[in-house]
This record gives sequence, structure tokens and C-alpha cells, in this order.
Amino acid sequence: MASTVIGAGITIDGDLTTDDDVVIQGTVRGKLTAKDGVVVEQGGVVEADIAGGAMSIAGAVTGNVSSTDRVDLQSGAKVVGNVRATRITIADGAQFKGNVDMDV
Amino acid sequence: MAQGKTRSTSAATEGRIGPTAKVRGRVSGEGNLVVAGELEGNVSLRGELSIERGGNVAADVIEADSIAVAGTLTGEMRVTGRVHVAAGAAARGDVSGGALVLDEGAEFDGRIDNDFTLPPELGGGSAERPRRRS
Repeated sequence: MASTVIGAGITIDGDLTTDDDVVIQGTVRGKLTAKDGVVVEQGGVVEADIAGGAMSIAGAVTGNVSSTDRVDLQSGAKVVGNVRATRITIADGAQFKGNVDMDV
Repeated sequence: MAQGKTRSTSAATEGRIGPTAKVRGRVSGEGNLVVAGELEGNVSLRGELSIERGGNVAADVIEADSIAVAGTLTGEMRVTGRVHVAAGAAARGDVSGGALVLDEGAEFDGRIDNDFTLPPELGGGSAERPRRRS
């Protein structure tokens, strides 16, 4: 189990910072910073800039996404914002509006 | 008082703030929330707020169905159920609406404000609003 889980019914208005991984099933508005993986599950809503390690997004994200590793936009994901990562995949069925910045 | 029943058995969604996690802001919603890290900001929860050993919550107002403290908590507690402070844990703030359970070795600093009916042999029958200072 992930060390930090924001459950489906829970909303955070503010900053969330962790040295480990985080799973978002609910809503986060503000800022989200993790040193490890970030998973935004289907139904999860993030209205914040996200920084972290490997990311898997299946929910809705409005904000800039910055990863030290890879970013996977899953089918059903809706991302509005710029994505910065070393690797990125966009699955069929994912919605994405923004720029991609890959470190090459 | 009954002990060891602080964990609710409802199947509501579990949220968890991990030991290295820090949340600064308002937390609201439905479901149980476990804090093993740090939470700074007001809480309004329909569910149980559980603070694990090492966890810390600092707020002006904490609204929840019930609160279980094994770490530290500072703030006014408004509950419908009860506040349970375990041995070695510390809670600071006034408690209103529900009951307070203190285990031996727990630290508590605040006022307890709840309504209850005194038994008739104590001249009760009408609701009293006792105010105690711990």
C-alpha cells in the first residue's frame, strides 16, 4: 500500500509534500510534491502543479506536471498543463492539452 | 470505560497521510483518515480521524465523527462520537459534542463540554452542562 493515500471522498485545499509515494483518489487543490511515485487514479482530481518521480495519471489533472522519471497518461486521463519528464506515454483515450518537455 | 474499540469498522474509504508526508491546508470530505505524518490546517471529516504514533495534527478546529489520538493533536475538537487519547499521546484543545476517553499515560489539556443527563439519585433529570477543567 502506498504510504500516502488521499481517499475518494477527501479533499485537500493546500500543499501536500512527501518523501515517499502518493495515490490520489480524491481531490487535491494547491501543490503536490513527492520524491517518489505519484498515481492519480480514475476519479481523482488534481488542480495543482505536481512534482515527483514516476507518475501514472488516470484522473483529471489541471496544472504542470514535472517528473524526474516517466509520466504515463492512462486511458481516461484528462490533463491540462505542461508535462516535463524523461519518458512519456499517452495512451489511446487519454486527453492531453499542453506542452511536452523531454530532457534529451 | 470501554477501551480497544477506537477503530471504526465502517467500510468508508481510507485516506492516509504517510509518515514522511506533510499537508498544509484544509482537509475535508467523507471517509476515515489516518495521519502518520504531519497535518497543519483545519479538518472537517465525516468519518474517523486517526493520528498514529509519530503523527501530528495542528489546527484551529477539527470536526470529525470521532478522533483517535496516538500521536499529538492541537486544536479544538468537535465530534459527534468520541475522542480517544491513547497512552503516550497528547491532545491539546477543547472537546465539544462527544465523549472523551483518556487512557492512563495520556496527556490532555483543554475543556470538556458535553451534554448529559444526571441520574435521578443525583438530583438530575434535567440536562446539565458541566464544565470541568483538567
